[in-house]
Amino acid sequence: MSRHLLRAARAALPAGARQLRTAVPRRRGACDFFLGTPLKEGVFPYPEITNEELKEINQFVGPVEKFFHEEVDSKKIDQDAKIPPETLRGLKNLGLFGIQIPEEYGGLGFSNTMYAYLGEIFSLDASIAVTLAAHQTIGLKGILIAGTDEQKAKYLPKLASGEHIAAFCLTETGSGNDAASIQTRAKLSEDGKYFLLNGSKVWISNGGLADIFTVFARTEIVDEDGTVKDKITAFIVERAFGGIMNGKPEDKLGIRGSNTCEVHFENTKVPVENVIGEVGGGFEVAMKILSNSRISMGSASVGIIKKLIEMTAEYACTRKQFNKKLSDFGLIQEKFALMTVKAYVIESMAYLTARMMDGPGLPDCSLEAAMVKVFSSEACWICVSEALQIFGALGYMKDYPYERYLRDSRILLIFEGTNEVLRPYIALMGMQYAGKILTERIKEFKQRKVPFILTTFLGQFQDSIGRKVDLGLVGDKGVIHPSLEESGKQLEENIYYFGQVVEGLLRRFGKTIVDEQLILKKVADIVIHLYAMTATISRASRSISIGLRNHDHEVLLTNLFCKEAFFKNNYAIAELEKYSEENMDSSIKKVARQVLEKRAYTCSYPFDRTF
Amino acid sequence: MNSMWLLAAARGTLWRAALGRDYTWLQSPGCVQAFWTGPLRGCSSGSKLTLRPGDDGDGEQIPRELVPFENMFRQAAQQGRSKATWCQVVEAFQNRDVRRREHVEFIYTALRHMVIFGVERDLDAYNCLLDVFPQGVFVPQNYIQRMFHHYPRQQLCGIQVLEQMETYGIMPDQKTRFLLLKIFGEQSHPAYKYQRIMYWFPKFKHINPYPLPDPLPRDPVDLARHSLTRIAADASARVTIYQMPLPEQEDPGIDHAQPYIVGIQSPDQQELLARHNPAQPVLVEGPFRLWLKTTCVYYYILHAELLPKEQQEEVIDLEQSFYYPLQLDLDLDRGIWDKETFDVEKVEEGPLFAMCMVGAGDQATLAKWIVGLQETNPILSQTSVIFHLRPGPQELQLAPSAAKSREEEEEEEAQARWGTREA
Repeated sequence: MSRHLLRAARAALPAGARQLRTAVPRRRGACDFFLGTPLKEGVFPYPEITNEELKEINQFVGPVEKFFHEEVDSKKIDQDAKIPPETLRGLKNLGLFGIQIPEEYGGLGFSNTMYAYLGEIFSLDASIAVTLAAHQTIGLKGILIAGTDEQKAKYLPKLASGEHIAAFCLTETGSGNDAASIQTRAKLSEDGKYFLLNGSKVWISNGGLADIFTVFARTEIVDEDGTVKDKITAFIVERAFGGIMNGKPEDKLGIRGSNTCEVHFENTKVPVENVIGEVGGGFEVAMKILSNSRISMGSASVGIIKKLIEMTAEYACTRKQFNKKLSDFGLIQEKFALMTVKAYVIESMAYLTARMMDGPGLPDCSLEAAMVKVFSSEACWICVSEALQIFGALGYMKDYPYERYLRDSRILLIFEGTNEVLRPYIALMGMQYAGKILTERIKEFKQRKVPFILTTFLGQFQDSIGRKVDLGLVGDKGVIHPSLEESGKQLEENIYYFGQVVEGLLRRFGKTIVDEQLILKKVADIVIHLYAMTATISRASRSISIGLRNHDHEVLLTNLFCKEAFFKNNYAIAELEKYSEENMDSSIKKVARQVLEKRAYTCSYPFDRTF
Repeated sequence: MNSMWLLAAARGTLWRAALGRDYTWLQSPGCVQAFWTGPLRGCSSGSKLTLRPGDDGDGEQIPRELVPFENMFRQAAQQGRSKATWCQVVEAFQNRDVRRREHVEFIYTALRHMVIFGVERDLDAYNCLLDVFPQGVFVPQNYIQRMFHHYPRQQLCGIQVLEQMETYGIMPDQKTRFLLLKIFGEQSHPAYKYQRIMYWFPKFKHINPYPLPDPLPRDPVDLARHSLTRIAADASARVTIYQMPLPEQEDPGIDHAQPYIVGIQSPDQQELLARHNPAQPVLVEGPFRLWLKTTCVYYYILHAELLPKEQQEEVIDLEQSFYYPLQLDLDLDRGIWDKETFDVEKVEEGPLFAMCMVGAGDQATLAKWIVGLQETNPILSQTSVIFHLRPGPQELQLAPSAAKSREEEEEEEAQARWGTREA
């Protein structure tokens, strides 16, 4: 029903605004931070959507929200470890299986922003959110971004309607991040018409439900110079091709309702025309899918936190202890402030990023998306834990949903690239970008050109005796509202000194920075904070300027967050300026090395004696 | 140090240098000059001492004064060398004379006999020995006594007891302290020595990061297991017993009908071996020596020749990590101040695939090991194995002529192709 309504409402809209973009040229984006310059373009002012789009979303959101509140029994899904068929049917009827599939293929053709907004509602039930995400952010994305028109026409309509469910088969035993662990083979038949697929994939979301699989397998490629190489190729595999078997669904900690299982392929015949992209180009396809799949995670975290704030506030304002309401205790109030700040920051970042992805020029926002993912997953975990803490023992009971939220939200830190993998990604992308630009300058420095070194040290000396950083964000010609001037200045200062630190790091480590993960982690943390500060300041500026409801509250949240982030950044920057003996990195590594050598905790018992 | 007080204290004794090897303790820092006190009447003009008839003649030079005590121990030793008999002798001495006359000489003799009776690592035995000193007599009564060495010979003897404990790594206990305080008092050299021992010994107790079981296991298979895990230094390495010794005898002197074969291999080594080019032979080499405390064991290794340079370098596949780049495309190197590694000259070696210890180091036994390894490393059945064995410990024990012929046998590089032989 609502789908048709929506179609009608959208008929007047220009189609171009909603088209899914496929080409992804590299944009500078958050890489600018690494050069010590602030993000302005596309960020200040905070991007907007048109009134029509807003109306459209609001129209669509209503029925979805209603469905989730009335017809989804999350407790039952969690207990039975299965989403009931009628719930799935309801989701299909709402059109939620084809949110980003263009309209000509029967989908809703929503932009990333709108998808993110919907993600906030899905997150009310994590199992459904994961099922939907596995279907459309990774499962069928390969066809969408790299498939041919024939492939799209053949598969997308059924996928959009939910008649077919898609799954993404990349991970194999070993490591999910390491392409070397892929052992599934696709061998071209003698007549050259199809590939024979053999191998098994593990932990495949929707593996048991799916009819269409995006499978990555090794194929033999003959290079131009005649050498034979093993390269990864992506295939669209239908269950109907035969030879596909599932393991039994995995029993998981959280997101129990989503289906995760092993998928085995045994002599599955895949026609040559089902190759996504080129033969041997699977790695690129996988990278593209993975880097664009994280948009909805930020907004999903916001959805969870918002819901938790509602539930905990209700409890804190009614429960009494020592004749006082829980809400009167400072320690409880602190938790609410924390949750609110985190929700506000994630929301600002997530929608800014989603909007940037939609924005003109089809930018590649994988760096920003990764930052949102890392920040939001960690914040969400902390918030869920704090919310459970407010409930005390009650939160620990299975009768209440809080422990389920805790279990469900744990997966956010793990899937779609663990945070430990994304942090080096964030840092290295920026380092690579900055390195290219700074190489010449650093080389001059290393060749000990006296005037150059002198100017550098003079600059640093000037900085140390109190230089006023002015990057043009605040002030008369600035883009930040004067009420946020202090936060703006803090952001500017952080960006400026971060740029210097990056240059210093490149000078010190060069390309070997790849191996310095402890440094990369600090760099990534700073950049994430810088991006979060930028997003919140920009959003709050806009809110004040146009007079949104409760914008004074937003200013409070922004200042609160920025101040905290400013100090954290300063600390991290100070650590990065030091050598590993001073910033404890070498000690950290040493501790780990000694423990890992023994593979156990090595200290003696405190009461042990030697005589 | 100060032979002055020694001279002053040695009433009616003559000093004579004794350079015998058993008195090396005298050359320790506590006593710079090697002196030995000999009684006047026992003095002989030369440095030679007349040995009593019936001495087992192991070259030990025993001052005559000590001879009666020597006899006591010798007689006790005939009854059996154990802690009990040793204690009996000490007890006998204590009961002999209420004044404990000549106790210093007795203690020196007893100390020398501790090894013979096998009590050199027994704390009780030392405490027992300290108990021989009369208590209270040597405690200084005033500051002048404390300032100068009060009863120097006795204090020196007390120090010597502690020194021998130190040599054998025996930590004194409260009883030792109690005895020392009773005998010499708090401000005496033995008490200071005790304090120093108690300062250092606890610090050194766990200084070895790779401790050995104490005592070492007697079973050769167990011993081999310990030794192999010790050399391998990889916690994931797996010890496999390819063959148990038959008959199960612990005496290493006797040849086993079926010698034991204990091997070790880590998953990394397995992987290395799987990547090895079968056209190049692998070598079994050994035996190599390994000392565990006072025990010497021998091991054999399976390795390959040094690989050419291009095979050693690992190429980073650009299409390996889905999430973050494994290398940066930058023309910048690491700065000089951030180089955390030292320039270490490394011995270039080929890959090491496995190690083993065997009951008999002959080629047939080692071949069985290779056959056992084939089960987990199928590639070994396609690779030729060269046995490059040097004469081992067993050969050295044989008669010279037999040993020589076997040596010659072994020294030839015995080539055997194991590819055809199946496990």
